[in-house]
Amino acid sequence: MNNAKKIETWFDLFRILVAVAVAYVIALIILAVISDDPVYVIGQFIAGPFSTFRRFGNILTTMIPIMFTGVCMCFVYAINKFNLVGEGAVNLGGCLSACVAIALSDKVPVWLLLIIVLAVGALAGMACSLIPALADQIFHADVCVVSLMMNYILLYVTSYILKYQIKDPGSSITASYKWTAGLKLGNLIPGTSVHFGFLIAIACVVIAAVLFYKMSFGYRMRVVGMNPVFAKYIGMPVMATIILAQVIGGAFAGIGGTVQVIGMFQSYQWTSLTGYGFDGLMIAVLARKNPAFVPLSAFLIAYIRTGADIVSRTTDIPPEFVSIIQGIIIVLVAAEMFLSGFKSRLIFNSARKALAQKEEKA
Amino acid sequence: MEALRMEHITKIYPNGFVANKDITFSVQQGEIHALVGENGAGKTTLMKVLFGMEQPQEGSIYVNEQKVNIKSPLEAISLGVGMVHQHFMLLPSMTVAQNVTLGMEPKKRGLVDAEKAVQMTQEMSDKYHFGLDARARVSDLSVGLMQKVEILKALIRGAKVLILDEPTAVLTPQETRELFEQLKLLRENGHSLIFISHKLEEVMELCNNVTVLRHGYCNGTHPIEELDAAKISRLMVGRDVVLKIEKEDPKPGKPILEVKDLVCVNSEGKNAVDNVSFSIREGEVVGIAGVEGNGQSFLSDAISGMIKYDSGSVKLNGQEVGGMKIKDIRQAGMSVIPEDRMTVGCVNDLSVRSNAIADRYDKKENMSGIFLNGGKQKEITEAMIKEFEISCDSQDEAIRFLSGGNIQKVVVAREFTSGANFIIANQPTRGVDVGTAEMIRKYLVRMTRENGIGSLLISADLNEVLEVSDRLFVMRQGKIVAAFPKANVVDVDELGEYMLGIRTMTAEEMEGLL
Repeated sequence: MNNAKKIETWFDLFRILVAVAVAYVIALIILAVISDDPVYVIGQFIAGPFSTFRRFGNILTTMIPIMFTGVCMCFVYAINKFNLVGEGAVNLGGCLSACVAIALSDKVPVWLLLIIVLAVGALAGMACSLIPALADQIFHADVCVVSLMMNYILLYVTSYILKYQIKDPGSSITASYKWTAGLKLGNLIPGTSVHFGFLIAIACVVIAAVLFYKMSFGYRMRVVGMNPVFAKYIGMPVMATIILAQVIGGAFAGIGGTVQVIGMFQSYQWTSLTGYGFDGLMIAVLARKNPAFVPLSAFLIAYIRTGADIVSRTTDIPPEFVSIIQGIIIVLVAAEMFLSGFKSRLIFNSARKALAQKEEKA
Repeated sequence: MEALRMEHITKIYPNGFVANKDITFSVQQGEIHALVGENGAGKTTLMKVLFGMEQPQEGSIYVNEQKVNIKSPLEAISLGVGMVHQHFMLLPSMTVAQNVTLGMEPKKRGLVDAEKAVQMTQEMSDKYHFGLDARARVSDLSVGLMQKVEILKALIRGAKVLILDEPTAVLTPQETRELFEQLKLLRENGHSLIFISHKLEEVMELCNNVTVLRHGYCNGTHPIEELDAAKISRLMVGRDVVLKIEKEDPKPGKPILEVKDLVCVNSEGKNAVDNVSFSIREGEVVGIAGVEGNGQSFLSDAISGMIKYDSGSVKLNGQEVGGMKIKDIRQAGMSVIPEDRMTVGCVNDLSVRSNAIADRYDKKENMSGIFLNGGKQKEITEAMIKEFEISCDSQDEAIRFLSGGNIQKVVVAREFTSGANFIIANQPTRGVDVGTAEMIRKYLVRMTRENGIGSLLISADLNEVLEVSDRLFVMRQGKIVAAFPKANVVDVDELGEYMLGIRTMTAEEMEGLL
């Protein structure tokens, strides 16, 4: 028994590492085939992100939005409901925050404005995820389908707001009016593009981890997610917990949208889905739905992204190939059966050994 | 001629549960062979082995005196073994012919020949007087006809040996009679049938030979002429180890639980609990015996709030339970040891501690402000581990790594220490080791006597209900069919006869005992 437990505990980590390694090997093979100078490209891909301080900063900057959506998906994933509205929640959170920022610029102090826009982002995200959650619980409409469809509705709603309500006619690109420069999140590490949003993201990770493991709601949520029948039997409000978990997750995604918009730009410019919501799913899967591991898995994804970005800028390889690597990692990590034969052999062997020892003693 | 022979079959499940131990039985060509035994006696496992759904550790199977190795249902079918499952495996939106020929559709120029399929199905149905319309949609059929479709499915695939798993459980008496005529016709045509049932009168009427299983062992094969219903019941139920629990007579106080005219309707529209009334008083254990599936689970679920009941009332400490949230029912003084500890009683992947405190984590005294109080949780769990001698490496160990007995101890510890004054113990010792079982039983009796709580014990283990209970009821087909004032003086054979429907008490006989 004891051995089986040890094997199971270590096996998850082992499996993720093997998945990442396999994905990397496949990526290297692809690079070697399609590149004229494979050695240089591979070097850039692996070592590039660490080669300069600025590039390392890029990893951290890339991490910021996907940490928020990663936390969002931890809640959704913990409750076992695949509400994928994080994607649209990022857009709506960013867009509504931008509207408020434009309207209130120079009317309220900057610190107050920051709090207001973050709150607006959170509320927007909560509203986004509430709709599929309610549709699922009340009408038994598949939460995954409803949320995916909603992402497009949200995209077009935000595009409409951008193009017809807040567009700055003076701008050469599709962008909103600018808000006060004071609202833009300041630089955190000089010489890089890392802004204060990084700290907000870390704070959200901490809040989520506390909520998950130190508060009764988190406990309830994990129980409901793992065994709803038990939760009902022991007297937990199953439906309310399922809905609330998704709403809280949505709040984090919405804040992520706000932070990304006011951290990187001084005007709202998104006319397509950002992809951060889906990245969040990948990160939550890698983090084994534990928010405390979100920064780590976000770092891994950001590292791969940054490497691919460098490769595409300095060589002849298109950045799309990074999607292949991510795809492989996720398929291997999410596939419960990957290496499971190996695992059961390990457990079986150790059980047989234990039995033999016992018999020897007797 | 022997159509089928299973020799020395031993099947042990990965969790160590021995479902079949050295079972040998054979079926002659052209006979209906009854396989009887209580739930958990190993009938279903044995049939799964025969149908290739489970692989035995030891033993061999002979079909038509040839040794065979059945690794999958497909191989079983190709050897002429067919199975009619208790729960129908039909596609309701398709026609009878489509269901029957599914996977073996007749083809014409590479396309399904629908006309031929209908013709084949109709011929087969007419041959055995099944009275089916091959073009009818399955969703429009009655349950009795659906079952004929299932049988037809097996026959059209060339089944010579047909396994029928409790085929009459869902049928009306008229449908049952009709089915029997057709089964007899099949027998005359040289088919061999294995008939699994609890209903002894049916076995007596239909079968040639009876094989009895008990606790995974074979209790012999007997020709029907040598048996009567009472004899079969004795072979099935029996009483192996006599276990004694020392307890003084109860001094029941005021009623804690009052159940009145309770009715629960199951998904098939039948009354799973049929007008049941009884009460449980302070300081007594009331036992319910019965073959499983006779409404005990519905009764337990209805009382504990897991399902809504359709009429009647359940009062706990004077409060009507129907419509209350489970949290409030527990608050009002109910604890439940559920029948299935792995899917209802615990969360496999959470730690021993998280499972132990699941009903009290958010009580004010167990929190520190808005945060969970880890220290307090540890204390509570440690006390449980000590008192109930739960063997685990640490509280943080995921509960699924514990043995079945220790998992049950965690569940029992939680439910017994919740401060409730009414406990439902539904199969509290199923699948746990003897030592743990004894401890749980003694604890139940002690809690009831010392703390004046009321207990409802539902169990298929007759030793247990007889020794632990004070008053004892027998449930059959959703009704209480017998009530005894003193469980430990009840005769097992008599009890078995009530359980299996050979005898039933009248309302007058049970007067004052409910």
